[in-house]
Amino acid sequence: MLDQATIICRCEEISYEEVAEVIRYGARTFDDVKRLTRCGMGPCQAKICMSLVAQVIHAETGRALPEIPLPRMRMPLSPIKLETLATNRTSFSAVKSVLDEVEPEEGMR
Amino acid sequence: METSYETIIIGGGVVGSSIAYHLSERYKEGLLVIDKKFPMSGTSGSTQAWVWVHSKTPAWYAEFSMYSAELYPYLAKKIGDVEYKRTGGLSPFFREQEREKAKRLAEEYGKIGIQIDVLSREEVLAKEPFFNPRVAGATFSLLDGNVNPFRLIDMYMRTAKKNGVHYSTYNRVTDIRRRNDMFIVVSEKGTYASKRLILAAGPWSRELGKLIGINIPINQVRGQILVTEPLKPFLRYTISGLRQANNGEVLIGYSMEQAGFDRSTTLDVIQETANLAIHYVPALKKAKIVRAFSGIRAMPEDGLPILGKVPGIDNLYVAATHSGVTLSPLIGTLLAELLLDGETSLPIERYSLSRFA
Ligand SMILES: Cc1cc2nc3c(=O)[nH]c(=O)nc-3n(C[C@H](O)[C@H](O)[C@H](O)COP(=O)(O)OP(=O)(O)OC[C@H]3O[C@@H](n4cnc5c(N)ncnc54)[C@H](O)[C@@H]3O)c2cc1C
Repeated sequence: MLDQATIICRCEEISYEEVAEVIRYGARTFDDVKRLTRCGMGPCQAKICMSLVAQVIHAETGRALPEIPLPRMRMPLSPIKLETLATNRTSFSAVKSVLDEVEPEEGMR
Repeated sequence: METSYETIIIGGGVVGSSIAYHLSERYKEGLLVIDKKFPMSGTSGSTQAWVWVHSKTPAWYAEFSMYSAELYPYLAKKIGDVEYKRTGGLSPFFREQEREKAKRLAEEYGKIGIQIDVLSREEVLAKEPFFNPRVAGATFSLLDGNVNPFRLIDMYMRTAKKNGVHYSTYNRVTDIRRRNDMFIVVSEKGTYASKRLILAAGPWSRELGKLIGINIPINQVRGQILVTEPLKPFLRYTISGLRQANNGEVLIGYSMEQAGFDRSTTLDVIQETANLAIHYVPALKKAKIVRAFSGIRAMPEDGLPILGKVPGIDNLYVAATHSGVTLSPLIGTLLAELLLDGETSLPIERYSLSRFA
């Protein structure tokens, strides 16, 4: 059984009590709980705490487990090095630098 | 029967919640914030959260942003620690030709009292030793910093609630009507009447405006961000492109794409973002990425905030902007003044919706 002190999120060390507090405060989904407590934001990316949080939401709100939305899963599914993603190009299309956007001559008085 | 309120705010993101909190400092009753999901589920929960002043153009918009940055330290005293850090902001350039542009920027900003230094390569590396030694220089301002957006909204909300503000979440507004002098706000959970109405729906502003027959020209621009595992503190400044948060994670990204409301992350932009990170800070190559996220910017057609009274409809207000994190304390302060005093301590006419007419 889960008690108040049970750690729900091991990566960020978030307890049952902390999760229950934000549910009482209005959080209804895993993603709400995550943004309010950081539960699920650590290296495991919710793999360990996902179903535990669903149980807390169920216990606190009475909502049926199948109706509790799953967290939004994000790439990459397990941590990888930045260099693994990189392609070594230094020209950017969608990515800009702030100074690229500055046009000091235009609109300045 | 519908419940009556003095003022209803639609949208509980960093903009709507700031307005709610600032209003609640001065009047305690009759305020309702409605959100179709939960505050933070919109743009405000998927942002870099720089409080960024320098390199905003035109200069009067940078000045406006500066006043907001100046309010942050006081805000933390009033609502609690929101992990605001005035780190200083660094905007690098890699080609010597850009120094001229940077100098002109610094000169223009000097005239309005914003000090920008144009740094040499050596000065950049002295400030940020892990920066790419091939950098040509950077603009630098002491005013810039960053904040924890989750804590910011949470504290706005908790303080507003303490002051008597009602929040109704998971409650989408589906229609807005007028009856006599009142707004009738129809939502999934009920119908509410109010004397004043504030539209603060971020990227959904255009859709919300249509419900009451006005055009709020806000478009959607997607941004994708990479987050590293926590690293020991090694970046000191908010760099235009990446920053290190209090817990050691580095948030990377400055991408812009037209993708409507699609919040997917895509491999091509993520790869470019990884390239950007390594180009700026080569040591990051070995850092592990734990997640990617994307958010939808609320982008006004001309890039500048849309703030204040809606022309032609009494007691209707709008607050929709990009850079809502930077501007949040100022927008909350000014809208509270506009509603309660009928005038603002800084002019906001430039930001009126009427400019699009
Ligand atoms: C990748 C990225 C990086 C960014 N970086 C920065 C930065 O460094 N600095 C900075 O200042 N800004 C930055 N921004 C922009 C900033 O995050 C936004 O300007 C700000 O969050 C907008 O806040 P908001 O409250 O207007 O919108 P939102 O947070 O989107 O809030 C709007 C709310 O309205 C609600 N809503 C909408 N329609 C309805 C309806 N019909 N009924 C009920 N509720 C409704 C939504 O649920 C939502 O909660 C960035 C944005 C992105 C995407």
